[in-house]
Amino acid sequence: MSAVGDILQTIKEKAEGALAKKAAFGPDVDLSRFYECSPQERIESLDEVSSQLKEAALYAGVELENPGAGTYLQVDRSAVYERVLKPFEGKLEIMSVRRALEVYPEIVSKYWWKLIPVDTDKYTAFAELCFTEGYFIRVFAHQKVDIPLQACLLISEKSRVQSVHNVVILEEGAEANIITGCASVKGSEEGVHIGVSEFYLERGSRLTFTMIHNWGEQFHVRPRTAIRMEDDAFYSSTYVLMKPVASLQTFPQAFLEGENANAQFQSIIFAKGHSHIDIGSTLLLKAAGCRGNSISRVCAVDQAEVYTRGRLISYHDDTQAHLECKGILFSPGAKIISIPELEVHGAPKARLSHEAAVGPLEEETINYLRARGLKKEEALSLLTRGFLSIDIPGIPSLLKTYIEEIIKVTSRDIM
Amino acid sequence: MLHVENLKVTVEDRLVLDGVTLEVREGEVHVLLGPNGVGKTTLLMAIMGVPGYRIVSGRLFFNGEDITNLDMEERAKKGIGIAFQKMPPVRGISLRTMGEIILRTHGVDDLSLLENAAHRLDCFYLLSREVGVGFSGGEAKRAEIFQLLLQRPLFSMVDEPESGVDLDNIALVGKALKELFEREQVRTKRRSGLVITHTGYILDYLNADQGHVLMNGRIVCSGNPRDLFEDIRTKGYNECLRCER
Ligand SMILES: Nc1ncnc2c1ncn2[C@@H]1O[C@H](COP(=O)(O)OP(=O)(O)O)[C@@H](O)[C@H]1O
Ligand SMILES: [Mg+2]
Repeated sequence: MSAVGDILQTIKEKAEGALAKKAAFGPDVDLSRFYECSPQERIESLDEVSSQLKEAALYAGVELENPGAGTYLQVDRSAVYERVLKPFEGKLEIMSVRRALEVYPEIVSKYWWKLIPVDTDKYTAFAELCFTEGYFIRVFAHQKVDIPLQACLLISEKSRVQSVHNVVILEEGAEANIITGCASVKGSEEGVHIGVSEFYLERGSRLTFTMIHNWGEQFHVRPRTAIRMEDDAFYSSTYVLMKPVASLQTFPQAFLEGENANAQFQSIIFAKGHSHIDIGSTLLLKAAGCRGNSISRVCAVDQAEVYTRGRLISYHDDTQAHLECKGILFSPGAKIISIPELEVHGAPKARLSHEAAVGPLEEETINYLRARGLKKEEALSLLTRGFLSIDIPGIPSLLKTYIEEIIKVTSRDIM
Repeated sequence: MLHVENLKVTVEDRLVLDGVTLEVREGEVHVLLGPNGVGKTTLLMAIMGVPGYRIVSGRLFFNGEDITNLDMEERAKKGIGIAFQKMPPVRGISLRTMGEIILRTHGVDDLSLLENAAHRLDCFYLLSREVGVGFSGGEAKRAEIFQLLLQRPLFSMVDEPESGVDLDNIALVGKALKELFEREQVRTKRRSGLVITHTGYILDYLNADQGHVLMNGRIVCSGNPRDLFEDIRTKGYNECLRCER
């Protein structure tokens, strides 16, 4: 057996041992209730995408009509479309991770389950054993990709588990902006999405990553993300969830290994219905000059329950990071639980801080806007929008309008 | 234009205004004087309809219409506006966005008005900042009056426009108020207002028509604003209670 085969075999064995291992956080999901995703046919052009899928993609921030520098589209278990725009050929590659493993077998030893142990929990184990694709993106050294790359993962069937494994590599000095949209199509309200993402940011690279989720109300979502950052690497992540889900639990980890690495996490959560959301980020600051922020803005309405976590861990004197969680409860049945953790290991000069505030919009501010002629619900929706500070670069204007619409409708409901 | 009839107002169950009667006609600007804490701001808040300033008796008429029970956004739509004494922080909303919203709410499509007004009030550099977040006293005042200029109310109330504003900027504020009230238009003067002031500076620009002194929950004295101001400066507010004017 080849070396690669050996490694894969060891990974599989580890995964098998963790198939029953509950995750540290979030409600446990019985995966045996769900079925495997079906394969879908490849398409040659995005014109072949049904309008239903296009709409689902759009509400997850991906405008298929308007192709990115690179585009990856997965439906159910199949990568149906991958393309790099002409001007970007030779600057980057985007393909299904299954193909990438064939073309570049060295991925297995260098990048496959290197940041996230495969036996972390049953979801990572499942993602290995019932792996249903994912994307591989590599931006070559010193290439600056100035228009966004799009990756879109859709589920079009009911009661399925989609378990993807993504690998992103930014080589030295590369720059890119990736928008990942994940959504279920109307009529597939129930399901599970497991997304393993391993990002490698080499020296001096910069990645702006936006992930927008738009699932049905009976979806369980378990992203497992880790980022490894070398010297002077910059990572900015924005996660947006505006629609109700059954449960979502994610706790990405950024390993700031190199000097002056800088990681910025933002989560924008509008929790509705009976959503159970458990979200946070961990920053491990391991070298001189590392900086980081982890910011979340949470609105909870109806019976939603939201945990926001944050862990800042410093191992070096010259490090600095800040954790911030702000929340608004709009209804008495909703809950926000904020759990910040700061850890400093033998670095007396490290500066870590956190700030958490949960409270209503100020009456005085609402009145201020009303005095200018705004109706109360207009004032509420404007302030909620301001609170969530939805100003994400590169997302389609239609999605912006849609987000605003959700806030508007909700402000009307909570009056 | 604005008729206040025997208004009694409580704030947190305490009677602050105990029968205020006031009439401001079309094209007139009145100033409101009085020691700290007598309820000048309370009167403006009650006219605007801010919740928490409860009208327990009396009536408010605007252009002949009883507005005592209208919501404040309806009063704003009818043409009543206010520059608050204190600007609350409005997080996540820039002064530019605020300005655009005001213009749109009041049916103005021409967004060039916004930058023009900002220049005139030296607010241009504030446009990208969140409204009221970290504004100095003077910046807050200018930003308040900037918003009023965009809103163009028929009846504007301005609460201590000059406090915290340095001498250089008083001229800016004064000129903006003159514009707001169209004090230079002799024939077509339609806009009116009520301005609370502590200093005489702003009077130089306003050429106000009438002044009133508020004490003990009522208007105890009315008259020519410059004369009133001069008397108060020399004799203090206590004289007002004895005054027969
Ligand atoms: N929002 C409020 N909450 C509690 N008390 C208030 C409030 N606004 C005004 N007051 C009280 O009402 C009285 C009048 O205040 P105000 O109208 O601000 O006076 P002025 O503007 O003349 O200085 C004061 O005793 C003040 O403490
Ligand atoms: Mg006052």
